[in-house]
Amino acid sequence: MKNKAVFINGKRKYIFCGDEQGLKLLSNVLEKGKEEGLTYDRYLLSDLKMTLLQDFLKSQKMGTFVYLAIPFLVLQQFRKALEDIGYLEEDVQYIGYGERKIPVFCCRCHEINMSNQEQNRLFCNRCSLELEVSDHYSAMHNAFLGYVAKL
Amino acid sequence: MKWTGDLAHFPYPFKDSTYRYSNNSIPMKQPFCIEVTPSYKKEMLLKRKLLSDHPERCYQSLPHSITGQWEIVELLIDHLISQYPQHFSVEKENNSWIFFNKILDEKVEFIFGDENSLSCEPLFFISHHVQEDLIYMRQRDDDLYLDAGQLCFPANWSLAFNIGMKFKNIHHPIPGFKEEGLDQRILQFLMRLEAGTPWERLNWSLMAGDRLDTSLETFDQWGKLRKHVTRENAGELVHIRVEVQKLFRLPRTNSILFSIHTHLLSLEQLSTNREWLQQFYEILSELHAHIVEYKGISHYKASLMHYLEEQLERVKAT
Repeated sequence: MKNKAVFINGKRKYIFCGDEQGLKLLSNVLEKGKEEGLTYDRYLLSDLKMTLLQDFLKSQKMGTFVYLAIPFLVLQQFRKALEDIGYLEEDVQYIGYGERKIPVFCCRCHEINMSNQEQNRLFCNRCSLELEVSDHYSAMHNAFLGYVAKL
Repeated sequence: MKWTGDLAHFPYPFKDSTYRYSNNSIPMKQPFCIEVTPSYKKEMLLKRKLLSDHPERCYQSLPHSITGQWEIVELLIDHLISQYPQHFSVEKENNSWIFFNKILDEKVEFIFGDENSLSCEPLFFISHHVQEDLIYMRQRDDDLYLDAGQLCFPANWSLAFNIGMKFKNIHHPIPGFKEEGLDQRILQFLMRLEAGTPWERLNWSLMAGDRLDTSLETFDQWGKLRKHVTRENAGELVHIRVEVQKLFRLPRTNSILFSIHTHLLSLEQLSTNREWLQQFYEILSELHAHIVEYKGISHYKASLMHYLEEQLERVKAT
């Protein structure tokens, strides 16, 4: 998950998708696509609902590359939905903006807690263990590992 | 769980008087991925209790790992009956297998390759008959992925967190491992592993206490003992923890089986071997700070060194 889009060349088709603020963040890559004369669609996610976007993305052909720019707070649920359709990590660039929460995996009970980005320590919502947030990341859990903060 | 066998059989892990992270794998002389030790019954009881009480912590698998799990079942049963025919046997009629564990007086009937013929997944089943932890890494897209595992005796890591991870990502927390390029070198080594040519390596750490199940999930319980180490009790309380790790290529699924057999030896026992005592003292004396920290020794290193110095003086005086 990034906060700035980077242009990836050589794809069959591009989809630039986001809410109004998100599409502004994609303007540089969108312009680049236009300049290069590439095949693309621009998709405005006006209400941040997945259903229509899911149908639209399902109908695309192999080799389609997606830029998705929406608030960090809803980015993960969209990512999960795109993965379920079959868009792999290398098929999509996820661009977030706004407040960012970090998912933290509790080393004791496996609960995934949401932490503010600047927060280094937190208490697990389920087992109350104090956790120290590490930089060890699991793509499967989409979470960072929280270790025992103190013995 | 303390070492009760002959000290000469303990897998003492050091060759030199310094220690650095390295790929210390060597080709196996006896190509068996399992070992039955005198503590088999006691460890199987503990392992089965952990698997029953904490299945999520001790067992993880992804759906596409089932074929590889059967390969593991076949390999392990083959090794058990070849190495310990007095304890294990199997009767096969086409795909109908009857596996006998004579130590535990058990008989398991199943149809090889048919998941429905067992009450659990194949890896889960065979885990109940070997002391080793079993990790299944699938090779694809020029990488290794942790696709299944049974882990009851981990050295402070979480299978539940690491499931599905790539090799380098699993080892991300080890300080210096990436910076020194070891992660890439070991990954390349593992991906070149050939069927029929297994390798093994020894890994070590120190711990306060003699628990085998030092999972990350229970660190808040067993980790506290680190604070209680003194020069007086270090010999009894601190244990060297050695993992005998064996690496087998599974040719049908082009994956790798890591079997991990964990052994614990108190420093008191280690100190009875004069050469080991001297060498271990030298290794700890010059061990890099980041390794001391990662191996969990920093809390009590000073007490430990005092204890070892006292033992060395005692030995010199005799």
